[in-house]
Amino acid sequence: MNTIMQKSVLEIGTGASKNRDCLQAVHEAISQAKTNLGKETAGLAIVFATIEFARPVVAKIIANLLGPTPVIGASSAAVISNQGIWKNGIVIMLVNFPEEIFVNHAFVKDMDQKGGVAGGLELAEKLLSGFAGKQRDLSVIFSDGIIKEKKGLITGLQEKLGRSFPVVGASASDNFHFSKTFVYANQEVFNNGACGLLFGGRVNFGLGIKHGWKTLGKPRYITKAVDNTVYEIDGKPAADTYQQYLGFDLPRLKTELKRISIFYPLGITLAGEKECLLRNIIAIGDDGSCVCQGDVPVNSQVRLMIGTKESALSATKQALDQAKEQLKNCQTHFALLFNSASRLMLLGRDANRELEIVKESLGENTPVIGLYTFGEQAPLTAAGYHGISYFHSQTFTILGIGTKN
Amino acid sequence: MGLDNLFSILNILLVIGIAALAILLILKLEKLKQLQATNQGLKKSLNEMDEQAKLILRTDIELNKAQEELDKKITSLYALQRMSRAISSTLEENKIFKIIESTGIEDFGFEKSCAFLWDPVKKAFLQQANIGYSQAELETIQSYLKENQEAYLELLSSKKTVSSLSLSQEEKSKINKVFNVISFVISSVSPIGGSRGFLFMGTTDINMAISEGDEEMVTVLAHQIGQAIDNARLFEKTWHTQQQLERKVEERTHDLTKALEEVQMISKRKTDFVSAVSHELRTPLTSIKGYASILLAGKLGGIPPEVQERLEKINSHSDELTHFVNDLLDIARIEAGRMNMKKETFDLEELLRRVLDLLAGQLKEKNIALSYTIPKEANAVFADRGQLNRVFINLIGNALKFTPQGGKINIYAKISGNAVQIDISDTGCGMPHEAQQQIFEEFYRVDNTINQEAKGTGLGLSLVKHIIEAHQGKIWVKSTVGSGSTFSFTLPLPA
Repeated sequence: MNTIMQKSVLEIGTGASKNRDCLQAVHEAISQAKTNLGKETAGLAIVFATIEFARPVVAKIIANLLGPTPVIGASSAAVISNQGIWKNGIVIMLVNFPEEIFVNHAFVKDMDQKGGVAGGLELAEKLLSGFAGKQRDLSVIFSDGIIKEKKGLITGLQEKLGRSFPVVGASASDNFHFSKTFVYANQEVFNNGACGLLFGGRVNFGLGIKHGWKTLGKPRYITKAVDNTVYEIDGKPAADTYQQYLGFDLPRLKTELKRISIFYPLGITLAGEKECLLRNIIAIGDDGSCVCQGDVPVNSQVRLMIGTKESALSATKQALDQAKEQLKNCQTHFALLFNSASRLMLLGRDANRELEIVKESLGENTPVIGLYTFGEQAPLTAAGYHGISYFHSQTFTILGIGTKN
Repeated sequence: MGLDNLFSILNILLVIGIAALAILLILKLEKLKQLQATNQGLKKSLNEMDEQAKLILRTDIELNKAQEELDKKITSLYALQRMSRAISSTLEENKIFKIIESTGIEDFGFEKSCAFLWDPVKKAFLQQANIGYSQAELETIQSYLKENQEAYLELLSSKKTVSSLSLSQEEKSKINKVFNVISFVISSVSPIGGSRGFLFMGTTDINMAISEGDEEMVTVLAHQIGQAIDNARLFEKTWHTQQQLERKVEERTHDLTKALEEVQMISKRKTDFVSAVSHELRTPLTSIKGYASILLAGKLGGIPPEVQERLEKINSHSDELTHFVNDLLDIARIEAGRMNMKKETFDLEELLRRVLDLLAGQLKEKNIALSYTIPKEANAVFADRGQLNRVFINLIGNALKFTPQGGKINIYAKISGNAVQIDISDTGCGMPHEAQQQIFEEFYRVDNTINQEAKGTGLGLSLVKHIIEAHQGKIWVKSTVGSGSTFSFTLPLPA
């Protein structure tokens, strides 16, 4: 854990490179970011890079080039910046926060061994170090997208940090192999861990989260489920629902799982929420059980969901409006985008349209960097959920940062 | 009584109450029935909507698949267009594969690629391109290719494309293992000439199923690479041929320059020699002619007729020899650039009339009709009057010599470009084609009966040519044996 050095005004410098030589790309991106920042060192560096960058030597070079600047980040299926969306590349944002904003950074390793809740508690403890007496405003977390205890991480984190402020997170992704995803913390890049930031003071932010999927068919009820595995819906094997709707047998359902998972997730109806909480099916058992990305409580009302490119892009616009509304009249200094990897696959060649919508909404010159995730974490909007951060799928999540007037 | 009445009233009220309750119950039951019917209707509608949802979902999944395939194809086509443009812009074979490496293959849906060309001398597949493979992996691939050389050479001969789609499970697994991929396409690179090879593209993405479209795309790219190699090789060959040709031309030019220098040196020596000899000859000739004239004039006393006859021969032969020597000297002077042409603008017809006056006797003697046509616009020439006089005397003299009794000579002048062209035609014996090529060479005499009988030095036409060329003009002859000859020359017009 380190307390990040503060500056009197918020300064941003971003850099990006898609040079096929990873080390060369790191040099190019950092050089651009430093030039745009106008300084050699910064209070914080946020790094998103595609999977081929996830090597110890790359992390060491980043640390060497940035000197004492703390680094956090995550691997991604593609990287997003004002320059475009690249399936091979690295984006770096260097930030100097004003004096009235406090930021701590920390990381935790060996999550699977420690357990999700314990890992979350450890991370929270590190983040709180040196934060005594300061108002907590926001926490941003990047975690390995493959770890089992995703819910536990947030639970542990919020147990210690409290629920009076939002915890926003992104699960790292890879190039859709679903084998290993990584987080960056200072001079290290590792899997099976998480890293995060805790903001306090006068940080002003706007959070927008939408997916755009619509309900289809009649409501059904989860009658048997454990954690993220749904065994039965309406008393029948969970996969039966998909088989009925799609007319596929179980083997074909398994073959077509990737497409089904993206286009037709399960939607959990939440009281007071405009959108359902989505759950991708990531595996189908021989018994017809469906393993979801995120927990599904028993007795939940679920619907089959359907998404289109247009509905997804419309949701992007809504999320941007939501974030801007929260920032009120405050200028958005920079924005972090946590975009579901499923949306990248859904949008395909139209992924750039989404970036155009972002630029149009925030302004062409507002620094933006982002990653594609294997899940997003954010609180629900309705007051009844008491600030608990939930695991989301398929959303476009934007975190706009400004300063209080 | 009072109590009875009270009971009666109570009974009536009870009956009324029960009746009211019964009516209420009936009404409620009716309402429930209606609600149940509505509920049934709603359930039915919901089920119907659910059935419609199934239809929507089934249609949607097919549409999405089609859309994905279309997106993939469009992206691949754009990538193919970009790569084709880049490949076709180079004419260096070793750069073609570098372009593939730098352009990238992700848009084709692959992340690993390598290319090999067969080297018939080394009898091995040589690696040309590599995307995504480590050195160790490439070595594994190389040894696999060595072991399966024949199979791959057969693939090259067949010019086929094979992929995860078309090969057997066994073959597929082997290639997947060696090339460390899950799906792949291999297409032969077949330039028309020279060594052939193959392009491999693969992916480790378990979700990417190779389609016929992928096969087509890689085949087109491999074909483009083949064509680019052909172009590069053809350019290389042409370039080498051109280089060789340029070297040869340079060598030949060098030889020719050297030969020309030698010829010029020899010619100069000849000119110098002729000039020296001619000068040396002219002095004694002048003396001989002088003494012969003195003797003939009888200034040294009378001479017998036999002596006079001999002296006249000495005199006339001396004149011929002087004429010969003068011609030689003039040729030598012109060749050496020592002859000063006193160019002036004058009347061509006037000059011609004077020449014809000189030759009038011979024309009359042979009864030759000479006519000339000099249009006004071609009448003025810019030349050395004296030298042009010699040209006409020589050319008309030759025409006279070779035209039989009663023949015709025609002189015609005309404007030709920036010059005056003068044609002198006769109805003489003409000359064969080969003689026309050499007629202007020094000492050349056409082999015919007239020349055998008549005297001549073979210098006249050579001198004429030198004079005309010294005027920046040209001279040529057209002749047919038995039909006569036409000598033509050009002279510059006055400025």
